[in-house]
Amino acid sequence: MSVIATKELSKEYQSRTFSKEKILALNNFTFEVNEGEIFGILGPNGAGKTTLIKILLGITFRTKGNVQIFGKEIDDTSYKFQTGYLPENHRFPSYLTGEQALAFYGKLGGMNSVDVKKKTDEYLRIVDMDSWRKTKIKKYSKGMLQRLGLAQALMNDPKLVFLDEPTDGVDPIGRKQIRDLLTRLRESGKTIFLNSHLLSEVELICDRVAILNKGGLVASGSVEELTSVADSYRFSVSAIADDLMQPLLNTYKAVIKGPNEFTYKAGTAEELNGLIDFLRQKKAMILQIEKEKNTLENMFINLIGSQD
Amino acid sequence: MIFLTLMFSVFREAVAKKIFLGFFAIATLIILFFLLLVNVDSVEGMVNMMEATGEEGVKQLVMGFQVGMITISYFLVITFCFIAVSSFIPSMLEKGNVDILLSKPVSRTNIILAKFLGGVLLIFLSLTYLIGGVWLILSVKSGFWHFPFLYSIPWLTFSFAVVYALIILIGVTTQSTILSIIVSMFLVFVICPVLFVRETVIFSFITNSTMQFVINFFYYILPKLNDINKIIEEIIMGTAVSSYMPAVSSSLFMLAALLLSIFYFRRKDY
Ligand SMILES: Nc1ncnc2c1ncn2[C@@H]1O[C@H](COP(=O)(O)OP(=O)(O)OP(=O)(O)O)[C@@H](O)[C@H]1O
Ligand SMILES: [Mg+2]
Repeated sequence: MSVIATKELSKEYQSRTFSKEKILALNNFTFEVNEGEIFGILGPNGAGKTTLIKILLGITFRTKGNVQIFGKEIDDTSYKFQTGYLPENHRFPSYLTGEQALAFYGKLGGMNSVDVKKKTDEYLRIVDMDSWRKTKIKKYSKGMLQRLGLAQALMNDPKLVFLDEPTDGVDPIGRKQIRDLLTRLRESGKTIFLNSHLLSEVELICDRVAILNKGGLVASGSVEELTSVADSYRFSVSAIADDLMQPLLNTYKAVIKGPNEFTYKAGTAEELNGLIDFLRQKKAMILQIEKEKNTLENMFINLIGSQD
Repeated sequence: MIFLTLMFSVFREAVAKKIFLGFFAIATLIILFFLLLVNVDSVEGMVNMMEATGEEGVKQLVMGFQVGMITISYFLVITFCFIAVSSFIPSMLEKGNVDILLSKPVSRTNIILAKFLGGVLLIFLSLTYLIGGVWLILSVKSGFWHFPFLYSIPWLTFSFAVVYALIILIGVTTQSTILSIIVSMFLVFVICPVLFVRETVIFSFITNSTMQFVINFFYYILPKLNDINKIIEEIIMGTAVSSYMPAVSSSLFMLAALLLSIFYFRRKDY
């Protein structure tokens, strides 16, 4: 079942008040997020990622298109009992303490006092903020705020969580903890919608990603699909003997990467198997054949770069 | 439950604003003042006065104090409470703060209503403390339990609510605390008093009938705080209330400001 589905979603902002000029923040954006997956949205600054989340949560209104969450139009607020949200650069009323803030937002999320108490304790521990619970928020560091924000987004046990740059300002250990937490949440069946600039991080945890540029969908698919380089294979052999070198270079147009490594672009499975047959016939010992992968970052830079 | 949470969040925010504590400090001083004043006087002043002018004299004295208290309470509400509540909406709408709020299962209409009712309830309780306290002391010390004075609590709360609705409208549309304060102060200290005396003073030097019409027009659409104070005084003094029109038209103004705020807020992108 798709938890989020949009159809030709568009958003125009007025660039200034009383100005006719428009900014097209989202342009006919159609996508779906399935239940139980971690879905990542990538894109350069100003691509429209935050705008997308805000429309999905009714914070900003769409100009055109359709949005369905949990299979229903978002024309009332009832679906928000089942969602959690960590905005980018969020701020809490600074006169509250950490636990007061969680209690306040938990109740606003529709939780009763008993649950609020229980979940406040639980999530303060999960995000490692237990010792700061009685401190006023204005004394928190950036990473602490982010941890508290995450607890806020999760404490009402939402089925769908929106996280806009969740690891922003968090130290490496904290990031790892957050990644582990998100993986655990996925295991418990929750759907997570993630905005992030940290491609290595997205690569580590997202099941599927969509790449957004200038409000439009540029690419989408599993991380696997997006990062695999078409039909290129990396071979490791015991050694590249001299009688192998010439045919590899000339006939097979392989690229030699080292004394016992080369890559080969095969158009078809037959071609790939042809090379394997050739190597075996020459008594070359094949140690490993691997489909070549790009990093998400390389792919991203190539893709966005080619658009400008 | 969600609505109440939002409504009572106004209380915590008010306490966090030091200025609102100022209201309580002064209210407490006033209560103490009455407590001590009447104590001292009961030895000589009040008792002597009773002998000198009789029971009627004491009643007049108590009602005089009470009318004076209306003016004091009114100005306390204007200065401390308006300034305190002016930042409620702009701080709620700050980027990063409003996002979380709007992601919760509460409608935008209810957000405005909760903030409005929370503020009104807060001021109602504060006025109950101040006016109720003074009333209790005056009553115990004089033996004259003058209940109409207590009606000034809802009446002053109403005056507050009218201007608070305007403060919310300005807050929602401009997100500016300063502008909310300036406009409400201008209304209370300039517009209302001037329009209040338009017939007795202003029209004697503005004789052009078109101008007079314009001034009258504004008088009828804008809040009439001074007229409402007059109603309260008439109630305390036991004279007939000359006209309830100021109350009716002020409530229409309040409703209009609230509806406009909700209308605007429901459409705004954050
Ligand atoms: N309230 C607004 N009024 C006018 N324009 C806006 C508003 N919010 C966003 N925009 C514009 O919409 C576009 C998309 O912004 P958005 O915040 O969605 O980008 P983003 O992908 O989240 O960027 P980042 O990675 O920097 O967070 C930008 O051009 C931005 O200037
Ligand atoms: Mg963003």
